[in-house]
Amino acid sequence: MLRVKNGDLRKMDLLFKRHRDALFAFLFRMTGQREASEDMTQNVFYRMIRSRHTFTGSGEFKTWMFHLARNVLKDHYRINSRYGRLADISDYDERIESDSQSQGPVEKKEQLELLQTAIQSLSTEDREIIILSRFHELKYHQVAQIMDMSVAAVKTRMHRSVAQLKNMFLKSGKHEM
Amino acid sequence: MKCEFDKGIITDYLSNQLSEEERLQFESHLKECAECKEELEAQQHLWKLMGESTVPAYSSRLDNLDPFVIEPVRKDSRSWLQVAAVFILVVAGFAAGYIIRRPAVPVVDNSYKMQVDSLSAQMHDMREMMMLSLLENPSASERIRAVSYTSEINTANDKVVEALLTTLNNDANVNVRLMTLNALMHYTDNPAVREGLVQSIVNQESPLVQSAMADAMLKMQEKKAVPSLKKLLEQKKINTQVKIKIEHTISRLI
Repeated sequence: MLRVKNGDLRKMDLLFKRHRDALFAFLFRMTGQREASEDMTQNVFYRMIRSRHTFTGSGEFKTWMFHLARNVLKDHYRINSRYGRLADISDYDERIESDSQSQGPVEKKEQLELLQTAIQSLSTEDREIIILSRFHELKYHQVAQIMDMSVAAVKTRMHRSVAQLKNMFLKSGKHEM
Repeated sequence: MKCEFDKGIITDYLSNQLSEEERLQFESHLKECAECKEELEAQQHLWKLMGESTVPAYSSRLDNLDPFVIEPVRKDSRSWLQVAAVFILVVAGFAAGYIIRRPAVPVVDNSYKMQVDSLSAQMHDMREMMMLSLLENPSASERIRAVSYTSEINTANDKVVEALLTTLNNDANVNVRLMTLNALMHYTDNPAVREGLVQSIVNQESPLVQSAMADAMLKMQEKKAVPSLKKLLEQKKINTQVKIKIEHTISRLI
């Protein structure tokens, strides 16, 4: 009667549980908004179910997932437009306040703040590339697939972003470890 | 000392992009090149610092996947068809099963065509019913899901439009309201929708929604929105950026 694609969906459930935190982390690092990122994480999952016929081998799961995540992010930016930044900043302020109550060294906190600002100042695509590369252990060719770019383009942007971030640090004299 | 490597390779090294051979080659070069060593230290500092940034924990309230969605169904790109099929299977039995099992087989028999059409209509109603009930769900992400499903309902009837407008005016969650506005923008050829949107303007207190509504009015070229937008400007707590945007929008509409 009904052809049950049971195995398929259960596997997807497992994959999702395994990768959920990474997906959330990516979205959060991009937007700085927790609740929105949680909602978007769910959204990516629903899109994964809806378009699972476009997914082939399990080895490419991560790139497929991040590709979908980028689409969800694009929709998010469209809705929230430039004024999304208002929410960014207020979420960020909350975190600084709680940081100042912790015992960590002030200088480290300042450095992290500066880094946060520097990363937010990168273009959306450059930010995506550096986050995917630094936090998600993806090779350039995988990032290139996710971003719909050539490997060379990814490399160039990556190098440029790192140079930009590094310069921001040197300028402000926070280079000392 | 002149170095033939460009700084980019250091980034590639740190982000683990180099092959084993390239890595060894670079590491031996490092021993001899002070310039590269210095650059490596600088980039490493940055790299380490990035690693110290934290991400909040994912809310455990969202831990469980909706079991409803996970119901085993066939491979098909229209998920609502899948979901509705589960219900219909219980009710209509074999006919539903047969129809769902035919991905690309053309309908030869006329009676089957009638059954398909009637089931299609039933599925459409079911889809709509589910969406309307999901709009009342306590979880914001469920409500967002409900709103996003309206994109799969081609011609929204009055019930759906009304539900969306009510959500736009009353939902506690900003993201839900924003998604709802987005969904309503697909129905702007419907005068009731346009009117509803204009009326909704003065109810909005969130700067994000206010600015999104201003954008929407501009997109629709809805001059009737001007008085409502002007009224928004009178709000005491209005955000400066939003104020500027609304004034700009008004000037473009007049």
